[in-house]
Amino acid sequence: MQKQGTVGFIHSIETFGLLDGPGVRTIFFLQGCPLRCAYCHNPDTQDVKKTNPYTPQEILETVNKYKSYHGSDGGVTFSGGDPLLQGKFLAETVQLLKKNGINVVVDTSGFGDKRYYKDIFPYVDTLLLDVKAFDKESFKKLVAGNFDTFIDLINSLPDYGFNGQIWIRHVMVPGLSDNEESMRKLIKTVEPIMPYIERIEILPYHTMGIAKYEELNRPYLLENVPPMDKNKAKDFEIYANRIYAERVQELRSEQKERDKVQNSANDIVYSDKEKYRDIIFNDESLFENVSPEIKDEIFDKLIISNVERGDFIFQSSDRALNMYVILDGEAKIYYNTLEGKEQIYYIYKKGDFIGGHNLLSGEDYLYNAQAISKVTVLSISKEIFDKYMLDNPKVLRKILAKSFERIRHAENLVLRLSTTNTSLKVAALLLKLIERQNLEYEDNIELNLSLTREELGNYSGLTRETVTRKLSEFKELGYIDIIGNKTIVIKDMEMLKNYSM
Amino acid sequence: MFEKAWAGFTRGNWSETIDTRDFIQKNYKPYLDDEDFLTGASENTLALWQQVSDLIQDEIKNKTITVDTTKFSGIDNFEAGYIDKDKELIVGLQTDAPMKRIMNPYGGMRMVENSLKAYDIEAPQIMFDDFNEFRKTHNQGCFDAYTKEMRRARSASLVTGLPDAYGRGRIIGDYRRIALYGIDYLKEIKIKDKENLVGPATEDMIRLREELTEQIRAFDSIKAMAAKYGYDIGRPAENAQEAIQWLYFGYLAAIKENNGAAMSLGRNTTFIDIYIERDLQNGALTEEQAQELIDQLVIKLRLVRHLRTPEYDELFAGDPTWVTESIGGMGEDGRTLVTKTAYRFLHTLDNMDTSPEPNLTVLWSEDLPIAWKDYCAKMSLKTGSIQYENDDLMRSIYGDDYAIACCVSAMRVGKDMQFFGARANIAKALLYAINGGVDEVRKEKDGSPYKVMDNIEPISTEYLNYEDVLNNYKKVMDSLAELYVNTMNTIHYMHDKYAYEAGQMALHDSEVHRYMAFGIAGLSVAADSLSALKYAKVKALRDENGLVVDFEVEGDFPKYGNDDDRADDLAVGITEYFSNALKKHETYRNSEHTLSILTITSNVVYGKKTGSTPCGRKKGEPFAPGANPMHGRDSSGALASLNSVAKLPYECVCQDGISNTFSIIPTTLGKTEYERTDNLRNIMDGYFKKDAFHINVNALEKETLLDAMEHPEKYPNLTIRVSGYAVRFIQLDREHQLDVINRTFHEKL
Repeated sequence: MQKQGTVGFIHSIETFGLLDGPGVRTIFFLQGCPLRCAYCHNPDTQDVKKTNPYTPQEILETVNKYKSYHGSDGGVTFSGGDPLLQGKFLAETVQLLKKNGINVVVDTSGFGDKRYYKDIFPYVDTLLLDVKAFDKESFKKLVAGNFDTFIDLINSLPDYGFNGQIWIRHVMVPGLSDNEESMRKLIKTVEPIMPYIERIEILPYHTMGIAKYEELNRPYLLENVPPMDKNKAKDFEIYANRIYAERVQELRSEQKERDKVQNSANDIVYSDKEKYRDIIFNDESLFENVSPEIKDEIFDKLIISNVERGDFIFQSSDRALNMYVILDGEAKIYYNTLEGKEQIYYIYKKGDFIGGHNLLSGEDYLYNAQAISKVTVLSISKEIFDKYMLDNPKVLRKILAKSFERIRHAENLVLRLSTTNTSLKVAALLLKLIERQNLEYEDNIELNLSLTREELGNYSGLTRETVTRKLSEFKELGYIDIIGNKTIVIKDMEMLKNYSM
Repeated sequence: MFEKAWAGFTRGNWSETIDTRDFIQKNYKPYLDDEDFLTGASENTLALWQQVSDLIQDEIKNKTITVDTTKFSGIDNFEAGYIDKDKELIVGLQTDAPMKRIMNPYGGMRMVENSLKAYDIEAPQIMFDDFNEFRKTHNQGCFDAYTKEMRRARSASLVTGLPDAYGRGRIIGDYRRIALYGIDYLKEIKIKDKENLVGPATEDMIRLREELTEQIRAFDSIKAMAAKYGYDIGRPAENAQEAIQWLYFGYLAAIKENNGAAMSLGRNTTFIDIYIERDLQNGALTEEQAQELIDQLVIKLRLVRHLRTPEYDELFAGDPTWVTESIGGMGEDGRTLVTKTAYRFLHTLDNMDTSPEPNLTVLWSEDLPIAWKDYCAKMSLKTGSIQYENDDLMRSIYGDDYAIACCVSAMRVGKDMQFFGARANIAKALLYAINGGVDEVRKEKDGSPYKVMDNIEPISTEYLNYEDVLNNYKKVMDSLAELYVNTMNTIHYMHDKYAYEAGQMALHDSEVHRYMAFGIAGLSVAADSLSALKYAKVKALRDENGLVVDFEVEGDFPKYGNDDDRADDLAVGITEYFSNALKKHETYRNSEHTLSILTITSNVVYGKKTGSTPCGRKKGEPFAPGANPMHGRDSSGALASLNSVAKLPYECVCQDGISNTFSIIPTTLGKTEYERTDNLRNIMDGYFKKDAFHINVNALEKETLLDAMEHPEKYPNLTIRVSGYAVRFIQLDREHQLDVINRTFHEKL
């Protein structure tokens, strides 16, 4: 019987997936992959065979049978093949699953049907991103794919609305990438998506797939290549994670420098409302091409107010009704993290705009703006903004430039890192516990956990399983040691600091 | 007397009458935190365990045993025995020396004689002559009353493992009562109960009066036996050491008097914890000493032995005694019954090597403290010595003071008992449906067909029609059910008469509820065979007598174990039909019919005696154990397999338990120990949320098992869980070892 609506072609289902994404997972292997990786161990999934059709609803029904095993962070993994190839089906399915509260992982090499990416990526909790090689040539040679396509995906992930975590994976083939240089290239390749990266895994190449090639009567390109030594691969994995953390630290320092430069560049001083008239309507004006009468009208409607130190200009979840220009003083923009910690993103100074982006997008404020010295602030209502500023390319450019600059750099990196990246959260948690216990920031100190792992999870806004997973990953990477349930020995303070300070 | 023993305890109904549960509920302290408080083993414990361990290993290595050939079994028939008296905190052995086995002829003399012969041990002939002259055994009673049909069904292995040649076991005394009340009070109450038995002297009444008198005498014996060790257990226990010692004396009496296959301990950790907590509070005990008491109790439990033939050991793969202790679970009021002593009990696996006995059974509930769930998962991964059963399912039927006897049989402690009934081969029954009640393997002495059942028409078509076979199968199951109930009635009538467990029954209420526990083996084979008939084409291959001896299957068919309702519903259908068929027949002493899907390790022996089946299994090949899907046929991953098993109904259908053994390569459970623990906990939560009943967890590398086959000396304590209990892997014979290795190991990638 023909199935109605969109269907996907499923190669097979593994009900007991434990390695492809966090927790216990139901894995759907989708048919079809545009790549021809020399080492592919599932060559029988490469062609889009139109067998074994499933509707999104049927996928959901199957998943529901296994939901009770998923725990707090398990769920569904779409693997392949490359699941992005059956884009329409995947888009409908992941949306349906998200609607039903199912955690979604997509395991991809980054090659699929681009038309559906914006309908897929916003719904992906964790992306398992397989980085096959690090330059055009070897990419072409090893997997018969276009490296630019892959890089394009990496650069565009945020634009597709992706807001999840990423596990970077790389299959290490002896003689090809078993060297430190390759690991540095790997980290360089994924730099644009750095803030999303939660885990980096180096998978040792194995030869278990060879038999399938014989069955399929296809030549095996890596015939004389031995399997990759597991321990060596592990060492490279540790190395890759280290340079990742170091790079995070570098990026964060660069960002801090940039913020300083920007803030000092906007150094304008004014003293009362009338005095502000000139500057508001000057050449760099917010309001261009308006007649003098209208300028008067606008000026009347503008509010200039003083905000005392400690008072709020606005608070998170306030509706965005105004755009603000700081005329004097300093305000901090911050966010209360789940653990109740104040996370400061920027210090705004004279001449800085706040909230323009929110007026444009109509989103509520996500942050608090609080005066840290006496602040003189110009409020521009949405009405005036829409009427006189919306069409002003200069204003828009300025708002956009600032928004993008900040969204891209600050929000995507610092904000994201410190609020959602679990590696950083857990590292920060450990450092915070060290601070609370008045311990020195040194290697080999023993941290006594008075909290259970569950409480640790609540404390850091993560699930218990995530904290467990991350701690054991840190242990594997040699950053910490875990003794019993209640003691953590810090083995590499420097690395923890790289992640979180 | 009670004032001192009960000092500091909150009183309640338990202080007015015998009510152990009420005592526990009013006095125990749930423990929600983790295992960090646990301590190591004391020097004395380690020294004792070393001695015991050496004895156990010597027995295995040398294939020899020791037997007390001077007397027969009985509660107070043996002198006090010790391992190393000065080091022992908890004392008491079955005979006067560790590992020295008892000759128990009451269940059947042949088991005794054959065992002695097999090990080349001489006993004075006059003892046997005298016994045979003056006493009759349970075994003789059964065969005096068996019908021809019963004997033939038994010979053809349609029903096997029947408890007609030795003790039936599976009875749990409420050994805690001795600690809480002392023997004297218990005896007093029992005498009153007997005096209150008024009314006409019917057969039931006469039997009950006689039994209560036996029980009263047993109290005297238990007390006398304890006195040989220098303890007066007439009075209640006054501290933790005494509480453990008193209840162990109760259990010791049971294993001196009886040699049942499963002699289970009950549910004691919460009870013991109350005494330990009191002693800790008033400074009479340290944590180290508390652990030492538990460790030493467990040493004693690891020493339990019965005299068995090598064939028995072959059937059950090793020398299991099912000293099952049920641990944890939730109370009806929502508080967990997990206490620190639950942790101390599992911790014995760390303090003194892993071990198949006692049979550690964790009662799993969704609501258990998460730290406890983690600890259990961790210990499972480390030792492979724990089984799990669904407390949420059982509590709704039995309340919160039940325990598991043997592997999966629940009963309220001191209030219920069961008549154990082994199992019927439901796969062979399907072949009877095809061959018209004629056995496909066994022949008459002259080589002619061996007919077990009348009134079943053989199927004569070349291709087998599903409906035809199903109709016949129902007829076979109807006949089998009738035969099975009647056989069980005979067995338990005779057991009560000739081998009554007075010591254990004394530790029950005088009015007990009885279950009659039937069982089936070969469920997955039968379900897959029906599925083959229904969804593929099956051609029958007949021998010269027209007997179907093999099958050719054309096309594919759904198989049980893939979470595919088409096959799973057939498995459910078989259990429901057979359960209903059993319930149509009246039972001895109005006991309640229950059914288990549990094979112990006899899945290998059952397979050996069963011809080829329509599912593609060849003659002689092993069945899957318990309710497990057939090896290699559950191809959709482990959780699909678990889901299939979870569909089998427990309450009112398979209410004597559904056993499932789950073997996994540890590294596939996750990259690190912590992830493995989390994942295993999630799997168990998920499985039991689906109303599944039981799971054995083995986490082992296949290579370890292969290496252990070649180099047993390197793995003296390697423990694996089989259907409902655990065994030392090196004690299995090669066939069973291979069966374990070939069984589906869930691995991926």
